[in-house]
Amino acid sequence: MNNWVIETKGLSKLYRGRYAVSNLNLKIKKGDIYGFLGPNGAGKTTTIRMLLGLIKPSKGSVHIFGQPLEKERLSILRKVGSLVEYPSYYGHLSAIDNLEAIRRIIDAPSAKIDEVLNIVGLSKDARRPVKGFSLGMKQRLGIASALLGNPELLILDEPTNGLDPSGIQEIRELIKQMPKQHGITVLLSSHLLSEIELTAGTVGIIRHGELVFQDTIERLHRQAHEQGTLSLVVSEPEQAVAVLQEQGLGVSLMNNVILLKHIPDAAIAQAVKRLVERNHAVYRIEEKRQSLEQLFLQIVGEGGRP
Amino acid sequence: MASFLRLLASERLKLSKSYIWLLVPLSPLLSLAIGLLVSLDTMDTTWKYGNYAILVTAMASFHAMLFLPVLTGIFSAFVCRYEHGGGGWKMLLSLPVSRTALFFAKFTVVASLLAVTQLLFLAAVFVAAAYQGIDGTIPWRLLLTGIGGGFLACLPLAALQMLVSVGWSSFAAPLAINVALTVPNMLIINSKTFGPLYPWAQPMLAMLWYGEEDFGSLALPMENIVITILGSFAVFLAAGLLYFNRKEQA
Repeated sequence: MNNWVIETKGLSKLYRGRYAVSNLNLKIKKGDIYGFLGPNGAGKTTTIRMLLGLIKPSKGSVHIFGQPLEKERLSILRKVGSLVEYPSYYGHLSAIDNLEAIRRIIDAPSAKIDEVLNIVGLSKDARRPVKGFSLGMKQRLGIASALLGNPELLILDEPTNGLDPSGIQEIRELIKQMPKQHGITVLLSSHLLSEIELTAGTVGIIRHGELVFQDTIERLHRQAHEQGTLSLVVSEPEQAVAVLQEQGLGVSLMNNVILLKHIPDAAIAQAVKRLVERNHAVYRIEEKRQSLEQLFLQIVGEGGRP
Repeated sequence: MASFLRLLASERLKLSKSYIWLLVPLSPLLSLAIGLLVSLDTMDTTWKYGNYAILVTAMASFHAMLFLPVLTGIFSAFVCRYEHGGGGWKMLLSLPVSRTALFFAKFTVVASLLAVTQLLFLAAVFVAAAYQGIDGTIPWRLLLTGIGGGFLACLPLAALQMLVSVGWSSFAAPLAINVALTVPNMLIINSKTFGPLYPWAQPMLAMLWYGEEDFGSLALPMENIVITILGSFAVFLAAGLLYFNRKEQA
């Protein structure tokens, strides 16, 4: 028994001779919000379907709460709430009856229905047939359904799809509270970094079915920082480039601005000192940080397959 | 078992606010109309079971030959329709439920709708009998074996239709298949060779009696029917469960 809530080993799914998900080793720790990021079609939903036992992996294994999913599916799912891709609903029933249909199956207490409707802010529309709901309201209903069984693990696939900005904000705050208030572990998938950035503690980035990054959000920030550049504006830039190259720094010149790759503080200080010693006037030193979004795009974009 | 009952309670809720109930009395009402209009005097009354047999045979002809098998398909498609429509399958199957229990819960709903249909048919027979002024003892045994047999004969069809409806998100496609398989009844019923073997003809074979008359496969004993019903039920149900349990829920 280890403390991973979800652990997959070599998880793969073959569709028509092509790996939709390939050799995925996810590790999600208890009480964390895990942001599962990737562009559309990268394999996020396929992965989530495998985690819920909706489809069978071609290769590899899934352990949830330390138990093998294949053997313990029912006892695992009893502690999981989920929302997969677009929300599921019965259009001819009201929101209350939709939840009641689920409640009867999982045998949750009746009072829970009001509680979850309240949490997602649907209480006043609860008696209307769901077919008249907007996508955002259906999405909230989906989240309410996921919360109905008092889950220990919440798997939400693109939960803010179709919500307006204030709805996105609300749901984000709601998700943030889950680990703190209820000790719930959350797996949250999205194709937008901005949505994950503010909520997740750990990020997994999937591209063409492969996990290309899995670490804390801080580590991602640091990586973005390290991939930033410095720009120098000096008098006589050509000669200055030569001076910097003497020191073994990788530099390039663009529109009379010297561009430097990210280097440690000491190295910058050294470089500036040299330039000043050679009577160059240093007008401006600017750090151009790479935004997280750019880094994300770079991670998911590089080495793209056709 | 507890989880099966919970699934059943959930299915009941989903069904309670739907229009499917309007379809249930349709065929019994039509049969009632036939029962009221049919003229018993012109019929040969030398049949073993007398006027009741004539009345029931007249009333059940459309019901058993056409409507009951077709309704079986409609009911099956219907209990799957609201799952296909709103992404219900993936939600249901992400809950702690076994697929086998879910399949049986839906199958049970279909069977219950069929049972209600048959009970209404029985009621229609009594109303028509009263209207026609048929007296004498009610042939309970005959009525119940016929109507119960018709119900049982629909279960294999329900199992097959569940398989098709689960696999196909379209509502019309399973129905088209069902109708295409039901219509040949009119020909097959006359065949001594194929009639007893054709699952879609069994409701009719169970519900219509021509006594000792030699009329195609209708003169066959009940045992033959039972074997076909049980055999096809076992095959279709096993196929449905196997398919549903292995289905990739995309």
